[in-house]
Order: sequence, then C-alpha cells, then structure tokens
Amino acid sequence: MKSSEGDTVPPQSLPEIGISQILGLVELLIGKEGAREDIYRLAGELSMELGETLTVIKAAEMLGLVHTPGGDVVVEAFGTKVIDASIPERKELLREKIELLPVFKKVREFLATEENHEVTREQVSEKLAELIPNEDAESSFSTLVNWGRYAELFGYNDDSQTFYLDTDEDRGE
Amino acid sequence: MTNPHLNQTEETIIEMKNVSKNFMLPQGQVTVLENISFKAVEGEFVAIVGPSGAGKSTLLRLMNGLLAPSVGNVLYQGKEQHGINFESAMVFQNFGLLPWLTVAQNIELGLEARTKDAALKKEKVNRYITKVGLDGYEEAYPRELSGGMKQRVGLARALAIEPSLLLMDEPFSSLDVLTSINLRNELLDIWSDRDNVVNTMIMVTHIIEEAIELADRIIILSNRPGKVVGDIKIDLPRPRQKRDKRFIEYVDRIFSLLA
Ligand SMILES: Nc1ncnc2c1ncn2[C@@H]1O[C@H](COP(=O)(O)OP(=O)(O)OP(=O)(O)O)[C@@H](O)[C@H]1O
Ligand SMILES: [Mg+2]
Repeated sequence: MKSSEGDTVPPQSLPEIGISQILGLVELLIGKEGAREDIYRLAGELSMELGETLTVIKAAEMLGLVHTPGGDVVVEAFGTKVIDASIPERKELLREKIELLPVFKKVREFLATEENHEVTREQVSEKLAELIPNEDAESSFSTLVNWGRYAELFGYNDDSQTFYLDTDEDRGE
Repeated sequence: MTNPHLNQTEETIIEMKNVSKNFMLPQGQVTVLENISFKAVEGEFVAIVGPSGAGKSTLLRLMNGLLAPSVGNVLYQGKEQHGINFESAMVFQNFGLLPWLTVAQNIELGLEARTKDAALKKEKVNRYITKVGLDGYEEAYPRELSGGMKQRVGLARALAIEPSLLLMDEPFSSLDVLTSINLRNELLDIWSDRDNVVNTMIMVTHIIEEAIELADRIIILSNRPGKVVGDIKIDLPRPRQKRDKRFIEYVDRIFSLLA
C-alpha cells in the first residue's frame, strides 16, 4: 500500500480502506475496556504499521464510528449502534454517513444532472480533480466505487466504465 | 450468545468412522489421515485445528465426498456417503471465484447443478446477497473487490445452495487482521440467524484462537499422519474475548496437545 500519513491527507481524499476493515476495527475496540485503546498499542497488537493503522482509524472517523481524543481511539455511540445492527441494517446506517461526504455528494449531484443519469469514469475523475490531489486519485477512485456500492448510492459498471444512479427504473435489466 | 441451534435435536449430521486416507506417491504410499473418528451433530459449530500438512483440507474433501476414504466410512445422516454430497457446501481460503463472472453470476454458479428454474435462482441469489451485505455489488467483478467482499461472495455462494452442512477451509486466512475480525463476527451473526437453513458448520483452521473464538467443539489433529489427538468442547458464552482467563486456558490446553 502507498505510504499514507493518515493525518496529512486532505479531507476530501478517500482512504483506500474497505468497509470490512473499518467494521473489524470497531468490533475489536468494542471488545476492549471502555471501547477504547491507545493508537500505538493498537498498531502493535495488530502488527500493523502506524501509518496504516492511522489510515483505518481515519476512515472510521470519517464515518462517525470512532473519535480520537489524545493518542487514543474511542468508539462513538454510533459505532456501537452500527455493530449491534444486523448486516443489512448496517448498510442503511452507514449510507447516511457516506452520502454526506463531499466526494459522494459531488458524484451524486453530477449523476442527477445528466439526462440518463450516467457518466463515464473519465468524467467523474475530472470532476473530482478539484477535490482530490492527483497522487490520491487512484486510491480515492477505488474507495469511491466500493463505498458507493456498499451504500448503494450509485452503480458502477467496470465493463463500460460508467457510473449510474441506482434508481429503480435504471435497475431493470 | 450461546449456541442458538443446539439442544433442539441431537441428530448426527456427519460421522467419520475409523477413516484413513492414503495417497500413492512415486516413492510409495503415504498415509495422510489415520483412524479418524468424530461426529458433528445438527446445529453444531465444529473447528478442526492442526498444523500445516496435517491433512485438514483432505479431511474436508472426504466430508463433502470429493475424496473417498481408503479405510473406514463417512456417514451422512446415518447413511454411508458415496460420491459428492450435494447437501454440503464449501468455502475456500482463496475464495474460489471465477474472475470473468460478476458477483451475482459467481453466486448463481453454485445453483446451476441444483435447479434450472431461473426465477428461483435469481430469488436465491438476491436473498443471500442481502444476508451477507453485498447489495450494491451485484455487477462487480472479483478484481474490483477487497478480500472481505470476496469472501462474502464465497459465503453467499455456499449459503445460496441452502446446504445442511457448511464446510470452510481456512476461510479467514487470506484476509488482513481487521477484515478477518469482521468476517468472523458476521459468520456468527449469520449462523445464529434462525432463518438460515444451514445450522451445522465445520471449519478448518491452523489458528487456535480462531477456533476457540468460534466453535462449540474443537478437534485437534496431529501431523504426519493426521490423527485426532483431542476433541474438546468449548464451554464459553459468545462473544468470546481472547484475554479472558478461561479462553487462555483453552489455548494452553490445545497448544500442549499439538506440541
Ligand atoms: N491428491 C494428493 N495426492 C498426493 N498427496 C496429497 C494429495 N492431497 C494432499 N496430499 C498430501 O497430503 C498431506 C496433507 O495435505 P492437506 O492439504 O490435506 O493438508 P492441510 O492440513 O490442509 O495443509 P495446509 O495447512 O497447508 O492447508 C500433504 O502432505 C499433501 O502433500
Ligand atoms: Mg489445507
């Protein structure tokens, strides 16, 4: 993975972290006293590099699942709620957070204004160039697609390299 | 959570009776598994732990009928098993997905041999996509997915068959540490969901903690040849914590049996 200093990534870039990793982090923390842990100790326990650990924590923080007072990471009430929910309910809860992130908002707005609610990968990358520094474009793109699919905010077809809005009428095959 | 399925029946799902497996190699015959006997009852989560090369994958193949024992019998619901057991489904360490098929197509694949009814297939694919949290990923290709999402596809494909017995070969060992925590928890959620057809699970692993975290019972295999050196009931409520004193006692006990 590319070296990422979790705390210097500008807010609009998306960390290249999967939803499963984020949920795993929160589940691990919930098992601990006070649902919290020192970040250095956590990295040690997981045998993960500190930078990588920070990136996962940052991703969880973006979704409102944890916060990071001092050198600790602590599960938010919302984090507990998500983990207590059923697998399908988790998606609903996380959708509400993901759709508020600027990058996702921008792509959704873009799709909404296009006549057939379809745009190409290239068009999306151009739009995002204003929000995301060049060096983060690739990893942000993969997270855009993956979180977007998880939250069912839009569809992406890799054969045609197009995004489309997941409205019911578009769903028909 | 205690086991939600146990104590309903005590029906034996699968039984290995004095099973040995030999392979012919250029340098002669080798015994990989020797005199293996154990059973799994309806609703049970059994883990099989053993070092690399102990014959764990071979044991799973004997259970789903892909291999026949050299000696002894495999009984499925009391009857001797011949050929592939279509009531069992397998989840693999490396996911076993076809790269040119989408998520939905990979899941549907397992149903091909069982039904021709397209509407029924579609309904089952959709149902299990939802169960494992893959809604929205239907048309994604495996190359686009993280390891965690790939193994969800592997799990959905196995569940869609609605098997009576779910066999898992190191299902979490290709995943990063956080993803594997998440998938272990989700597997327990799915297993405790009473709507699910599959109650009985057998999982192979070389990680002792993973077995203790998940299973009702652990069968411990020695190496070369693989023999059962322990069969231990894990009497701890779930969720189980690694730092718990009794958890650590189980780790020590199993470790000493393997040593
Ligand atoms: N078809 C075969 N022909 C010959 N030898 C085989 C065959 N299948 C497995 N073996 C041998 O049997 C032994 C046990 O293999 P198996 O894959 O079952 O072990 P395992 O416990 O699953 O190992 P691992 O932890 O590495 O997955 C190994 O020495 C392997 O080389
Ligand atoms: Mg194996």
